[in-house]
Order: sequence, then structure tokens, then C-alpha cells
Amino acid sequence: MTLPSLLRKMPPFMPVLIILICMFALNGLAEPNSLSPYALKGLISTYLALMFLSVGQTIVIFAADIDLSVGAILGLVNVTLVSMMQVLGGEPAGIFAAMAIALAVGAGCGLLNGILVVVLRLQAIVATFGTSVLFLGLALWIMPVAGTPAPRLFWRTFGGRIAGIPFAYFVLAGLLVLIVLLSRSRFVPRLLTVGDDQLAAYQTGLPVQSIRVRGYVACGIFAALAGFCITGDTASGDPNVGGLITLNSVAAAVLGGAALSGGVGTLFGSVLGSLVIGLVGSLVFFLGTPSEWQNLVQGLTVLAALMVGILFGGKARA
Amino acid sequence: MPQLTMTDMYKAYGATVALKSGQIALHPGELHVIMGANGSGKSTLCKILAGSVKPDGGRIELNGKEITISGPKAARDLGVSIFYQELSLSKNRSVAENILARDLPCRAGFVDRKAVLARAEKVFAPFRDVAGDDFDLKTRVGDLRPDQRQLVEIAKTFAGGARIFIFDEPTSALDRAQTEAFFRELDRRKAEGASIVFISHRMEEVFEIGDRVTVIRDGETVSSAPLAETTRDRIVAEMVGGETGASVFADPPAAPVPGPEKLRVQGLTSRRLRDVSFTLHAGEVLGLGGLHGQGQSDLLRALFGLEPLDGTLTLDGAPITLPSPRRAIRQGFGYISGDRQSDGAISGRSIFENVVPIHLFKTRAFFVNHATLSAEVDRVLAILATRHGGRMAPISSLSGGNQQKVIISRWLMDETGVLLLDDPTKGIDLATKLELFALIRSLADKGMAILLYSSEDAELLANSDRILVFNNGAVVQELQGNDRTRTQLTRAAFEAA
Amino acid sequence: MSMATFRPILIAGGLVVALMIAGELVSPGFASPEQILRLSIVAALLGIVAAGQNLVILGGREGIDLSVGGVISLSALVAGNVMNGLDAGLLPAILACVAVGAIFGLLNGLGVTLLRIPPLVMTLGMLGVLQGLLVVARNGIPSGRAAPMLSDFVSQPQWLGLPGILWLWALIGLAMAGLLGRTVFGQRIFAIGANEPAARLAGVPTRLTRTMLYVLSGVFSAIAGLCILGYSGSSFANVGGQYMLSSIIAVVLGGTPLSGGRGGYTGTMIGALLLVVLQGLLTTLSIEESGRQIIFGSALIVLLLFYGRSSGMRV
Repeated sequence: MTLPSLLRKMPPFMPVLIILICMFALNGLAEPNSLSPYALKGLISTYLALMFLSVGQTIVIFAADIDLSVGAILGLVNVTLVSMMQVLGGEPAGIFAAMAIALAVGAGCGLLNGILVVVLRLQAIVATFGTSVLFLGLALWIMPVAGTPAPRLFWRTFGGRIAGIPFAYFVLAGLLVLIVLLSRSRFVPRLLTVGDDQLAAYQTGLPVQSIRVRGYVACGIFAALAGFCITGDTASGDPNVGGLITLNSVAAAVLGGAALSGGVGTLFGSVLGSLVIGLVGSLVFFLGTPSEWQNLVQGLTVLAALMVGILFGGKARA
Repeated sequence: MPQLTMTDMYKAYGATVALKSGQIALHPGELHVIMGANGSGKSTLCKILAGSVKPDGGRIELNGKEITISGPKAARDLGVSIFYQELSLSKNRSVAENILARDLPCRAGFVDRKAVLARAEKVFAPFRDVAGDDFDLKTRVGDLRPDQRQLVEIAKTFAGGARIFIFDEPTSALDRAQTEAFFRELDRRKAEGASIVFISHRMEEVFEIGDRVTVIRDGETVSSAPLAETTRDRIVAEMVGGETGASVFADPPAAPVPGPEKLRVQGLTSRRLRDVSFTLHAGEVLGLGGLHGQGQSDLLRALFGLEPLDGTLTLDGAPITLPSPRRAIRQGFGYISGDRQSDGAISGRSIFENVVPIHLFKTRAFFVNHATLSAEVDRVLAILATRHGGRMAPISSLSGGNQQKVIISRWLMDETGVLLLDDPTKGIDLATKLELFALIRSLADKGMAILLYSSEDAELLANSDRILVFNNGAVVQELQGNDRTRTQLTRAAFEAA
Repeated sequence: MSMATFRPILIAGGLVVALMIAGELVSPGFASPEQILRLSIVAALLGIVAAGQNLVILGGREGIDLSVGGVISLSALVAGNVMNGLDAGLLPAILACVAVGAIFGLLNGLGVTLLRIPPLVMTLGMLGVLQGLLVVARNGIPSGRAAPMLSDFVSQPQWLGLPGILWLWALIGLAMAGLLGRTVFGQRIFAIGANEPAARLAGVPTRLTRTMLYVLSGVFSAIAGLCILGYSGSSFANVGGQYMLSSIIAVVLGGTPLSGGRGGYTGTMIGALLLVVLQGLLTTLSIEESGRQIIFGSALIVLLLFYGRSSGMRV
């Protein structure tokens, strides 16, 4: 079997899996403690939000769309959740009600994006930038200054343990189950078919518009779930919390083997991609890089990882 | 009573009328052939029925009731399924997923992978034996050969319970056995009471399987009759109307007095070519023949610097190398592809901008002087009698034939020594084809050396002074003088195969 | 110029005038000469960045430059340190800036053309590198100060009562119009943007042309960074961040679709003005920051509905 055909047969997340294993190995070499259960739990709970966000981003990228407002949705959900919990009280019933409302807000944001990009046919990059300004404004309107605390029950649960196992692992398991369910449903193959060749999908008789809009709504819902994780992690509301995370969600999706031109990729790959981004950060730290150099080394490593991923993935698809 | 009728169908794109008055009546259990020259509107009529083109007027009746078709999905829901000439496949999805793309089998909300394979297997069964040994339903469509892809598109058309099937040139990439398997399936569907619409340029096929033929010319239905009651000659006459299409299929030209040797190719070998040698003289049209895809296009692309090659090339007696298109252009080569949309037209830009790039490159210009260039552009466009609405109009506003003229005129602004024509008349109507071949001959008469590949044997025979017959990347025979006949060409192409 | 390219310019121009009138009605003094001058200067800063963005987008193949903000910040920092408040340091500072922009633009261009990395990914990765570099550079290095001559050039009336930067912007506008309309290079940009394979067969050096676009984008961003330093006096952290998406919006509002091969810079200049006037108007309104953002976001969406819509699939 030739190398190209071998590359073609492997799942699209293979390159990122290899990169991830290398990252773990390097982390372990640099600082054995970085692979301790405690450190891993820290890594997971910090990067859960990015994982959810990049899975949402990947869903729209599957259909050759993009959503630059995911960070803003995350921020809006964060402040909505915290404010609603404050209004409804920090008891379980109030918390669940607030979560339901916040989830609906995320879905609504996604629906707005979908209508603008798909139904009104605006260019996705600029339209979702426009909505991100709008969502940020709404978040500021709900909570003008950062710092309102989340109820104790909420963040204690998120940061705590159930039966000795950190809660973050349950969330991660939930995410993985969600990914498996989604990937087996009709939704993901249809998104990929639309992204592969939109005109062909339309001519086949697929409801292209409704599939793409649903992609944006699903992305909004995942951004909301990411917002829950952020809220659990930071234990407070901050309208600007989603500042830089949007571009990372795109990078994680691309690292995970999704093509921005659509039609290629896996949701699982994006989870791995998010972990790589997280591990790059911790590796730079554990290597003892002087603090002022950490961002640069991290930037260079992510760029290199993106290139490696695309070069290998690209060969597989050629 | 007809199952479906379309009356007075009308469609215009801006000022261009694609379909003036399309009529057709489909009966269950009947295979209805639509014939017409390129651009006559037959594909437009079919796409209206399939929902991908929105008509500007006309009436569609299904089982006696007037209907409107709001899109491809609505068409499928009404039981209309179409095979797209340009294929509607997702190259990153598996064969099985493509065949069932519209309606993936599900269980409890999840894709039932076993059922997908089983159902795709069943739909594809009629073609399983002719699809090739390496064919697998789990293969990515992007990894298939063109003929396999076409079979997948055919199976996809049959999948799901449609009652009306439309096939727009479904056999172009298929071999004989594959075509026969397809025809058997058509017969079976007919027996089940389906109506089938069939577009083809191959007269033999039409008479082999058709029940009724409708001829469309210039966007109007001119006749509709049972095939048993008509003849080939009558159909051709109806297709071309007043014009006669005879001279494209004329006898081979008398061999001209060969000019001096222009290009000598010795032992040329590339990814697809094996040890190709020949000489090309100034003033000569050298045809490249054989079955499709035997290396003819590869030779032309290699000579234009698009593919790496080994071997010796001599131009005007001096050795040359062709590492890139830019070097080839500097050496005096010109290349015209039949694939205008991807390799020819700089779409969306003006006619002017489509004519001048070669000249600007050759003259190493820095500035574009519109005033002086415009006169030159008008001159070359006039040589070709290009019909256009001003040189600043976008090239996409022209018909396929006139776009091709614009692309040819690129090479006429400065001297071009060797012109490489890669199926240049693909998808161009008969009248324009005649003009183009007359032009090609006049360019040769002025001393240009021309290499011509055409996917239509008749065109090749009518316009080549000599013909090199290709098989599997090698030249197997050279036909000269009176050997240039259809029989000889076919024999040479098949004997070596 | 055809009607299709002219219409967005007309709409955007009309909106600029309408917003100025609305601003004058809401808060008298909004359309005063000083205020117009100030807004024009801010628009010029954005417009210079958008010139590079415009070129990259025209070149097609999903061309986009997300690294402009990083180049601006780095260039402002480099310039501030080279000149360090002295007029004598101005020329070396300009040269250093142009070099910085050209180098990072070249890296972007090579990644996009040779390695065939999608532009969005390549320039996004480069943005990460630039931001890291800025953190390194800021450590132990003062932020630097603008030379008085530079500050005057950007904000003081000079020739005919207009500051130099407006003349520079006008010059760039003319140069871009000439480049796109009258030079072979300009035609090649449109050609690769409209159909790259066909352009290659027509003798266009596609890789070189595309790489040059990214280099030019880097250089324009660097020049903008220099001017922004002059405008604010000293460089502060991530001064360029806000330009990434606003430069893209200016291009789109000016009638150049992100798909490439179509459009021009004249519209982009008006697009930059429109964006700046809109923001200026919102700043003068006495409302909360949240309200301002909500109105701005909604206005952007409404503006995009005027143009920048792609065609449907059913023809």
C-alpha cells in the first residue's frame, strides 16, 4: 500500500492525535508532574469551554460556513446565566431554570446567525462579526461590569467531585457521548454533504438552507454549553470573557482535521485540537520558558501544528 | 393520458433567451429522447422539471393537475429524479452515502449503517458486475474513476421511489458493457411504468433504446414523434434547421505542401506518456486520435509546461525545455482547452482583460495602455468574427462559442508558433464549430503549426492533415493521406487495446 | 467603471452624508470642520490598513489577512523605539517599519502559496506569533515615542489646511486606482482572483502575484502602524487589534466581495469613512457602552444587507 492511500484511509483526526500524543510525551518529559491526575483535571476543566466551542465551530465549518461570534455568544450566555441565577436564587431549581434560559439564548443567537448567513445570504465572516458586536452589546447591557459571582452550588459542583471522580470528567464524558450521538445521526453526514458541494447537495434534493441554519443553531447551543463551563471555571459573570477564544476555536477545528472549505473533518478531532492548544500552553510553561517568551513559543508551536496538520491532511485528500 | 406535460416553457437570462417555447408530454412506460444542438435549451427544459431552474413562464401538469415546482426537493417529492451531466456527488462521502444522500436510512434517529450498505447494495446491484473489481460501496467517491462516478450518479438517480427519471447525457464516460447494464435497468424501470427522459448526442443509442423523440431547436420544440416513424436524417435536419451541418463531417483535407520542420519531439515520456516521438511542420494540422484519455491531452499539457517530462524537444532546430507554462509561452507555444470554465475564461472579468494577458506577458509590459491595446483587441476579435457587446462587457455575457473565440484571440495578438488545441470545440454549437475549424485552417495556412485533439472522431478526420493514434500513453499508428478514414481510425484505436 | 461596482460606492457615500446630517441634528457641532477633520484622520488610519486587506481579498482563493492587527502593533512599537521622539530618527523608523511589514507579509504569502495553507489559518497563526513577539518585545523595552514631525504629519493641518496623512491617504487612493486599473500587476490580481488556473495558463505568475499581495498587505499595515503611533503619541499594547475585522468590514462595505476577483479601493475608502463616521456618531450620543455596541452591531448587519449578499442556488 502506498503512502498516499494509507494517508487517505486513516481517519481525519490521525495527524492531530499524533501531535497530541507527542505533546503529552513532551509534557511528561519536561515535568512528570504535568501528567498527574491533579494537573490533568486542571487542564481538562480549563479547556472544556474551548472543546465545546470548537465542536460547535466545527459543525458550521462542516457546511463550509464559519461563526466568528461564538466567543460573544459564550460571553452573553455567561452573563445571562449568572444574572438569572442571581434572580432565581442559587437553589437547584433556580439554577436549572437559569441554565435552560441561557441555553435558549445561545440557540437564539445561533438562529440569528443562521438567518443572516443562510436565508439573507450575507457573507459569513462579516455577518457573524456584526452579530458578535451585537451580542457583546447585549452582554454589557445585562451586566455592565464584570464580577457578579455565580452561586456557590454551581461552581462548587463544577469544580468538585462525585464519587471521587472530578465533575469535569463527567462533563467531558457527556461531551464525548454527545459527539458520538451527533456523528451517528443524520445531521452530521448531511452537513458534510452540503459542505462538500453545496450546489450538488441542493440538486440532490437536500434541504440545504434548513441544514445550514440548524448547523448555526447547534453551534449556538454548543457555545452556550461552553458558557456553562466558563461560568463553572471562573465562578463569575464577565461580558468580555469570550474575547480571544473565537480564533482558538477555529484553530482547534483546523488542527482537528476540518477543512475550512467544508465537507471534511470530525467532531472528535476538534476536541483533540482543543487539547493540543491547551497542552502547548502547559508545555511552554513546564519547559521553563521565561514568562515573556511563552506567548511567542505558543504562537509558533500552534502555527507549526496547523501547518503540519494541513500538509498531512491535504496530502490525504489530494 | 400523459403522466406529465410541459407547455410553452420559457426561460431567459437577462437578454439571452435559453428556452423560448418548450413542450413535452411524458407517458408512463415510455423512454422519451430529447435531441437538439448545444444551447438549444434541452438541458434548461429538463432542469426546470427537476426544479433547479426557475421558469419565467409556461405550464406544467402532473396527472392532469397544474403544479409548480419550487425546487429540487419539491421535484423529488413529486417523484422526479434527475441525473446531472456535471454530476451531483459529494467527493468526500462514500459511494453508499452518495447513492442514498437524499434519504439516509435511520433507526431511532441514527443512521443505520448496515441498512445504508444493504440498501445501496440493492440499488447498485444492476451495475455491480460492470463497475470494476476495485469498486466498493465504502470507497470515497473522490477516489473513483470517471466511469465509476457516472455509474454512482446513475444509481443515485434510481434510488428512492421516483416515477419520472431524467438522464442528461448519462453515458459519456461509460464503456459498452456499462452502457448495456444501464440500458437493461432503463428497460426494467419502463416495464414498471416509469417515464424516462433521455438526452444524448449519440444517434445509435437513441435508436437503440428510445420510444419517442422530441427535437428542440433555438429554444423551441420543433417536433415530437415516435422513433419508429422518423429517421436519422430527418432528426438531423430538424436539429440544424436551415443550416447544413455537413462540412464538419466532410472528407479529410488534401494534404498541404509541408512547410519547414517546426517542432521535433523525441522519446517524450511523462507520468502518462510513453516514448512519444513525432515531428510537426509549419502550416500543418496534426491530429491526435484514439479512444478518450489515452494520453492526447497529457501530451498537449506536457508541451505547454504543465506536466514534467523527459525526452528531447527541438523547436526550429534548437533544443528547448518546457518547465512551466510561462516558458512555453515565451517559446511561442499557445494552449487552448475545451474546458473553458476552469482553464480558459477569466470569469467575471471583461473581454478586454481576457484577450490581453498573453500580449502583456510577452511584451513584459508594466502599464496597461487601454488606448493602444483596444485597437489591437478589436482587430483580433474581428478576425474571429466574435459577436460581443463591447470589449468591456464581461466574458460571461457571451455564449460558449464566443467565449472560446475570445480565448483563441489571446494567441493572435502576437505571433504564436505552435498552437496546442485540447478538444477546443467541446460543448460548442455546430455553426460556431464550423467557423472555428475554418479559422484553425487559415491559421495553419499562415504558417502556424497546430496540434489538435478532438473527442469527436469525425471532427478530427475532417480537419487533420495527419493523425497520430494514441493508446495507453503511446503513439501506436500514424494515419496519412487516404488512410484517414473512420474505419482506419477506429481499427487503429481498438487493435492495440 | 461599471454600474455594479459604482452602486455600493454611491450607497456608502450617501450614507456617510446622511449620518453626518443626523449627527449634526442630534449633537450640534458633529459636522463642524474640526470634527470632520478628526474623523477623516481616523478613517485614513483604517483606510490604509484596508488597502492591504483589499488587495489580499481581491486576489481570491479565500484571501484574507487576519494578521494586520499584529503587524500594526509591532510596527508601532518598532517605530516608537527607533525614532524615540526625535525627528532625526523618522527615516530609519519608516524603513524599519516597512521591513517589518514586508517580512511578515512575505511569510504569510509563502505559507499561502508554497505550502497551500488556507489564508485564514495562515494569517491567524501568524497573528498568534506576532502577539507572542509583542509580549517579548515589550518586556524591558519602553514603548517609545513618536517624533514631533510624525505627530504633526498625522494630526496638524499642513498643506491647504489638511494634515499630511490625508494627503498620504489620497495618494494611496490614486496609487491603488492606478495599480488596479492601469498596470499589468493590477490585471493579474483580478485574474488570479477570478480564475487562478485560467490565469496561470494565460501567463500570469500566480504564486508571485499572490505572495506580493500579502507582502503589500504587511507593508500597508506597517505604514498604518507608524501613523497610529503618530496619532496617539506613544504605542500601547495591542493598538492594532481593533483593525483586524474592521478593515475587512470596510472592504466589504466598499463593494468588494470576499470571494475576490471583483471590486476596487475607491469603494473601500468610502467604506472606511462610513465605519468611522458611524462609530463617531455613536460616541457622541450620550448612551451606555452597551447601547452603543448594540446599535453598532445592528447597523453593521443592516449595512451588509444593502450589499455583500451572494446569489442563490436556483437560477
